[in-house]
Amino acid sequence: MKKVFTLLLVLTLVFTTLVGCKKEDGTDKPGTTSDNKGIAKEDLLIGFLYVGPIGDQGYSYAHDLGRLDLEAAGYKTKYVENVPETADCEKSIRDLIDQGCNVIIATSFGHMDWTYNVSLEYPDVKFFHCSGYQTGDNMSAFFGRMYQIRFLSGIAAGLKTETNKIGYVAAMPLAEVVRGANAFALGVQSVNPDATVEVKWTNSWYDPAAEKAAAVELLNSGADVLAQHCDTTGPQIAAEEKGAFAVGYNANTFDVAPGAFLTAPLWNWGVYYLAQMQQIVDGTWEASNYWGSMDTGIVSLADLTNNCAPGTKEAIEAAYNAIAAGEYDVFDGPLTNNEGIEMVPEGSTMSDADLLAMVWFVDGIIGSVPKSN
Amino acid sequence: MKESYIELCDITKVFGPVIANNNVNLSINKGEILAILGENGSGKSTLMNMLSGIYRPDSGSIRINGKPTLFRSPKDAISAKIGMVHQHFKLVEVFSAKENITNGLKNGFIYKNKQLSKEILALANRYGLSIDPEKKVYDMSVSEKQTVEILKVLYRGADVLILDEPTAVLTPQEIKKLFMILQNMKKDGRAIVIITHKLNEVMEISDRVTILRKGESVGSIETCNTNPKELTDAMVGASVNLSINRPENIKGLPLMEIENLTITSPEKVNLLDNVSFTVKKGEILGVAAVAGSGQKELCEAIAGLQKVASGNIIFNSEDIVGLSPRAIINKGISMSFIPEDRLGMGLIGSMNIIDNVILKTYRAGKSPFIDRKEGKKNALQIVKKFDINTPSVYHQVSKLSGGNIQKVLLGREISLDPELIITAYPTRGLDIGASHKIYDVINDQKEKGVGILFVGEDLDVLLELSDRIMVLNSGRVMGIVDAHKTTKEELGLLMMGMKQEVAQNV
Amino acid sequence: MFNLTKRTNQSKIHTLLLQLGAIVAALVAAGIVMWAMGYNPFVIYTKIVEGSVMVSENAKKGGVPYRLLQTINKAIPLVILSLGVSVAYKMKFWNIGAEGQFYIGALFAAYVAFNFKQLPPYILLPFMFLSAFIGGGLWGFIPAVLKNRFNASESLTTLMMNYIAIGIVTYLQLGPWRDPEAKGFGRMPYFTENAILPKVFGIHIGFIIALILAVIIFVLLKKTKLGYEIAVIGENETTAKYAGINTAKVLFITLFISGGICGIAGMIQASGIEKTLTDQISGGLGFTAIITAWLAKLSAPIILVVSFLFAMLLQGGAYLQVSMQIPAAISEVIQGIILFFVLGSEFFIQYKIVFSSKIKEAK
Repeated sequence: MKKVFTLLLVLTLVFTTLVGCKKEDGTDKPGTTSDNKGIAKEDLLIGFLYVGPIGDQGYSYAHDLGRLDLEAAGYKTKYVENVPETADCEKSIRDLIDQGCNVIIATSFGHMDWTYNVSLEYPDVKFFHCSGYQTGDNMSAFFGRMYQIRFLSGIAAGLKTETNKIGYVAAMPLAEVVRGANAFALGVQSVNPDATVEVKWTNSWYDPAAEKAAAVELLNSGADVLAQHCDTTGPQIAAEEKGAFAVGYNANTFDVAPGAFLTAPLWNWGVYYLAQMQQIVDGTWEASNYWGSMDTGIVSLADLTNNCAPGTKEAIEAAYNAIAAGEYDVFDGPLTNNEGIEMVPEGSTMSDADLLAMVWFVDGIIGSVPKSN
Repeated sequence: MKESYIELCDITKVFGPVIANNNVNLSINKGEILAILGENGSGKSTLMNMLSGIYRPDSGSIRINGKPTLFRSPKDAISAKIGMVHQHFKLVEVFSAKENITNGLKNGFIYKNKQLSKEILALANRYGLSIDPEKKVYDMSVSEKQTVEILKVLYRGADVLILDEPTAVLTPQEIKKLFMILQNMKKDGRAIVIITHKLNEVMEISDRVTILRKGESVGSIETCNTNPKELTDAMVGASVNLSINRPENIKGLPLMEIENLTITSPEKVNLLDNVSFTVKKGEILGVAAVAGSGQKELCEAIAGLQKVASGNIIFNSEDIVGLSPRAIINKGISMSFIPEDRLGMGLIGSMNIIDNVILKTYRAGKSPFIDRKEGKKNALQIVKKFDINTPSVYHQVSKLSGGNIQKVLLGREISLDPELIITAYPTRGLDIGASHKIYDVINDQKEKGVGILFVGEDLDVLLELSDRIMVLNSGRVMGIVDAHKTTKEELGLLMMGMKQEVAQNV
Repeated sequence: MFNLTKRTNQSKIHTLLLQLGAIVAALVAAGIVMWAMGYNPFVIYTKIVEGSVMVSENAKKGGVPYRLLQTINKAIPLVILSLGVSVAYKMKFWNIGAEGQFYIGALFAAYVAFNFKQLPPYILLPFMFLSAFIGGGLWGFIPAVLKNRFNASESLTTLMMNYIAIGIVTYLQLGPWRDPEAKGFGRMPYFTENAILPKVFGIHIGFIIALILAVIIFVLLKKTKLGYEIAVIGENETTAKYAGINTAKVLFITLFISGGICGIAGMIQASGIEKTLTDQISGGLGFTAIITAWLAKLSAPIILVVSFLFAMLLQGGAYLQVSMQIPAAISEVIQGIILFFVLGSEFFIQYKIVFSSKIKEAK
């Protein structure tokens, strides 16, 4: 018993010594300016959270390109990969703050609640969350109108398909994903009214095996063009292996599947990040809910490849111009859901609020949005 | 004197604090049978393991033909033409004799298959060994397995054969045959080393005896110049009385009656076939049988550890057949089973003496906590009463010597005041001194009126110790004979199942 | 030329010194590999210690310093799970199902948390605790029955049961138990405030439960009749039967306790950290606990120490990633290397190298 006590005593002493040593040099606390007067560029430390590895050639990779844009502009950044959408996310945010980060950018939908929780505890740190809806005094939500680009990519797929069956590998039945699939299907139908789009869920943002498996299943059931809303190149590789075609996502991954790749909706996060950081430096930053259109450059379509059907370029340009000019919106009525019920009447269009809560598939999509009860 | 083929000079081997061999000297000559005699723990096995390359000496040297040699592995020993037949056979059960003999040699069984059989048969004939090269090991009797082991060593070209307790598992007839074969090898110019503690065998077969005591060699004597008494005294280091007491059996009332007991294996083979007998109070009923004749099943069935197909076990006019050990205890029956493999059943090697002593009594009382104080008291008593050589009662049982391990088991069982003791090979692996102490303890119990079922392997001991001897063969009772009147030969024939011949002889 | 010889009969102090020496040697060896990979081992080790126990100013929130808190948070489930499996291992029942038992425990607790929200915390939390014990216990009990009835290998059955458990949780998370408020995101609702473990010194009280459990398991294995029976069966089942121990009964009780404790770890993680149940809640802790239980030689007090050190390694690894911007994969490789050598050092505790020159000298 005495020995144990001695041991504990020694441990305590060692421990307090360590603690003491550390305290002496921990003098300044970066990122704790309480006024809104702006923070010098060199005092900013921006921490990123990615749901997958940066080498996913997908979603996390696209965000990391944005981070590299910031680095190139002279900002200091840090990042954590593979941050799950669980309490580990909260811990990763705290780890970054522990490192001295005063800006946190969480990039996956499931990071939202955790980011918000921490943002309440650290009023001096600025939080950004991508793809969600939660905002706060020091927390912005941001996203791009990717559905516009998905509509355009649907045109490429609709012109390419010969079996008139298109497969769509989707991550999670969130409004964002449902909206994207709908826009894609509407794009397909705008050039090929007979084509159907079949949606398969993987229930994960980043799951190479599940994504490829879903793709193979779709190809086996007759699809000859695939599109995806998930973060790996699995579907594109599956298409290449089966001699089919694919629309990618997040990044231009032509090299991964040169025989299958048609185009891909792309994120250009750097545009938004640079603008926001500049606001922080200038002292003009305020928390906001940002949903940028394609004309801001936050979303774009990858260069069309030679795999695309002839006439694709022209059709897409026409659609782009119509949307950009405000002549046409992707979700203009009339729209019926895939159970035959009219959801948007002729002459009206969907509001942003409706778009952010979209949980039904348009006519022409095979599949369903799992009910949340 | 002839030049020694192998010479061990000042060999020392230490395991932690234990000095297993201390400056041992030994010489082995070609054309000679050398017996190594010593009590358990005297370092015989350690010494031989060094000679066969399994251990390496800490100091000292091994000279072959006068040249110092270092054995790094058993391979080195084999290339020096030394081969060892272990007490526990190291054979692959599913292989044939031939495959086992040639296994591990580079020119395996793929090529010249028939020639190999021929070679093996030729080798066997040369020394009078009988073998079927195609027979699988699992079909073999103990004696046949031993033959395979010997041939394995010979086939590898051994000039020196070390046999560790080769007779422990054989019937008298088989032992005779083995000795004949060893004589043939000797004539052929090979050297034989036989490790044993059976004095009559030493006298019968060996040319020379080297005696080890407590890790040291106490001397080498030409066998013709010595006698068992002298050897024992040298081995034990004190004068020892070799005869076993046999107190008169007084009471003679039946304690346990076994009626038509039959046990079948999962393969529907009768392991015990319609066995009936009685154990009386104050009697030692010896059981003689070749290994695997059903004696193990018999003991375990009585102890409630073996499923019985049919028959009754009447203990003090109560049928206990089919009851679990717990149920037997609950009936208030006090029975002690001292099994052959004490660390396999009966004791827990990795636990200390106290935890082993409480094994059958720890349940007492309603408290969920275990009472080790009582256990310690008991353990100290047992250590004292049975003269167990241990640093403390907290010592791990498996680290004790064989004799002391057996005493822990026996001590615990006897401290429970049993009415019946079932014991199988209680002195297996024990030296003479330790064995005699065990016999004394058993005789004490007999005099107290305890009934004893004693399964033994050494027929001399059985004849001296038992009141009656039951002989089993293939699960059947061959006969129950009066130990005062029967002979070793009669027992041997009964063990082989040759009832008629016995009838003719008597 | 050298040879390996099994070490025999060593004093306790000698063994302890040897173990310490082995760990130091393991760290040196791991350092060499890191150096070969292009990382400075001194920096890595310093960072691991810095990231797991040292105080930092940036993330302080009162109570225990932030990094130490994270280390303790990681150690809590490890301790409890290690205690759980060690009970079964003492009996030589190879329960690889801690992961599954953890999930089922968390599942039972979550069921209670979702359906009895109206209860005050001092009733709800013990209720969750008990349910978790029963849930995990049942999950441990099933392989025990399979072993007893059909002699089914427990390492296989317990392993399979893990996947079933995780499958059930995934199904509930994406299906019937999905939070309708989550706008389609596949997660369960968060627990209400009364279903969340209170904090002491800023640490959720799971640490107190872990310490109490360590004492209970220590007493159970060392001082009770059941503990004695477990040890006897573990060391020698034949002798146990010979002594009249009801081996089947002890097997069932033991596995219920083993699984139940792992279930408690699940409840604590769900209530104390995750504040809900997810199919990623364990992150493989149930497997890590097998390692810690072994390293601790199934001894409850040592499990506390080993689990803490292991948690330091995990937290330090996460810190490496954030502070040095090492890719997650590399940080895991470094953790793996350290672990590999520490586990490997066990070998040198049991064996010693004997160089043949030494043998020659001895002659």
